[in-house]
Amino acid sequence: MRISPVASSLWSIFAIAVLLFMTLPLLLVVLFSFNASALTSFPLSGFTTGWYAKLFAHRSFWPALSNSLVVGFAVAAVSVCAGLLAAIGLARLESKAAHGALDVLCAPMMLPALVTGVALLSFFVRVVSVPLGLPTVVLGQLVVILPFVIAILYARLSGFDWSLIESAHDLGATPVVSFTSVMLPIIRPTLVGAALIAMSLSLDDFVITFFTIGSGNTLPTLVWGMARTALDPTINAIATLLLALSIGSTILALKLIDYRR
Amino acid sequence: LSGGSWREKLAQRQVPMLAPALLVWGLLFALPLASFLVFSFWSVRARIMRPDFTLKNYAATFTDYGDVLAITLLTALAIAGVTSLIAYAFAYAIRFRAGRYGDFLLFATLIALFGGYLVKIYAWKSILGRDGIINGLLLWTGVIDEPLGVLIYSQGAVVVTLTYFLLPFAVLPIYGSMRSISDDLIEAARDLGATSFAAARDIVLPLSVRGLNVAFLFSFLISAGDYVTPRFVGGGASMMGHFIETQFSFGFNWPMGSAMSFTLLACSLLVVICFRFVLQRGLRR
Repeated sequence: MRISPVASSLWSIFAIAVLLFMTLPLLLVVLFSFNASALTSFPLSGFTTGWYAKLFAHRSFWPALSNSLVVGFAVAAVSVCAGLLAAIGLARLESKAAHGALDVLCAPMMLPALVTGVALLSFFVRVVSVPLGLPTVVLGQLVVILPFVIAILYARLSGFDWSLIESAHDLGATPVVSFTSVMLPIIRPTLVGAALIAMSLSLDDFVITFFTIGSGNTLPTLVWGMARTALDPTINAIATLLLALSIGSTILALKLIDYRR
Repeated sequence: LSGGSWREKLAQRQVPMLAPALLVWGLLFALPLASFLVFSFWSVRARIMRPDFTLKNYAATFTDYGDVLAITLLTALAIAGVTSLIAYAFAYAIRFRAGRYGDFLLFATLIALFGGYLVKIYAWKSILGRDGIINGLLLWTGVIDEPLGVLIYSQGAVVVTLTYFLLPFAVLPIYGSMRSISDDLIEAARDLGATSFAAARDIVLPLSVRGLNVAFLFSFLISAGDYVTPRFVGGGASMMGHFIETQFSFGFNWPMGSAMSFTLLACSLLVVICFRFVLQRGLRR
């Protein structure tokens, strides 16, 4: 396309500025997790891993990490199973009906997490009277994470070539065999990708976890407890760990799902 | 066996396949929301919730929190406006202006989507704070002698922080709706003498309005219901979310918190509908 050099450089400056705005704050968090001074500020005062040592010695850190991982695996497993079934069901509907159903299933994504969180809290405590704990956290997170997984899997399956399954069927394959030996190998990367995204959304979740956990901590609720009081580089260390976990699994997931589609 | 009958047989099995997802939606989303709505008409005596049918929680929401509600909606409107505008221009840059760097910008946007909600808000607390990074840089370079207190604990800090958090979420649906716009269409407009601005306004904008709608809707609803950002960088008592959360963690007045939540949702919905209306009127002209 014909663009004047002035316009072109203005667009470059704009794109770089937005890119920096989106990425720099997190890079600063990582940088200050290795900075010797207790002040999160410039000038930098030397390299240390002391904040990590302090974090690992923190009484609540290991239980919070293990809770986060347990919840993350459970949410990923359940949401991928339920999400795959739903996506297959949607992919066989007429496209217009499928999009309508998808809009309805995705409604929880649009509600402020605060409202979902307090509604679930009052539901668990007052309506069904179950004790709050990790199971209620898993159920609560499922409400907002499952729609993500369905949307990702549906995007892949809506372009799926169903004649492959038909051929397998014509050749005598049972539905189970045609699923495991024809469909699964084709969509496996997308499934793993969706599981990783569900996992990192779960690790990230604070608001719903906060209202449905009762006592106990996950990593985000631990950060909340620490960050309310003061600026403490230990928080930068825990933030960096969360970042590494969620961005690591996201990059892996994006490699598996063709994100340009 | 013909393909058609196989299709039909499969089609009959759709409902059970959707069942687990519908179960989650119905039992853990719709039902809790419905019972939460019922609680908003209950009353509280001696700190205990009692079944009732009263509108006094809604009345109290408007009399006690009317000003907070207005500030919340205006702040959310500002955030959604700024976020949608930047996101639209950035998505346009990725799709039509960045050339071979487009893929890289898109990847960076997808990465920025993650990294943690709390972590991102905390990052801005450490950037804007009195002992924070901006003040540190300015003091270090000698631009100022005293740390600036005005950077944090303001509505401006809330706008910057939430814009930062929402931007990647807003870029993606807009980019998604721009992806399918054909370059030939724009080339044709340019060949017929349209400026690139006119081509963007008359061709790209109408074809990507769905994405813009989603971006605005999402940014507005999320920021209207947020309570963590005002607590961290906005000095607390500025947004509705803060007061709703307080009803649950300290106040133990759940019916009141519920009425406040649904009032906020209803007002937000009204704003969103107005935005759609204005956008469609604007495009038709």
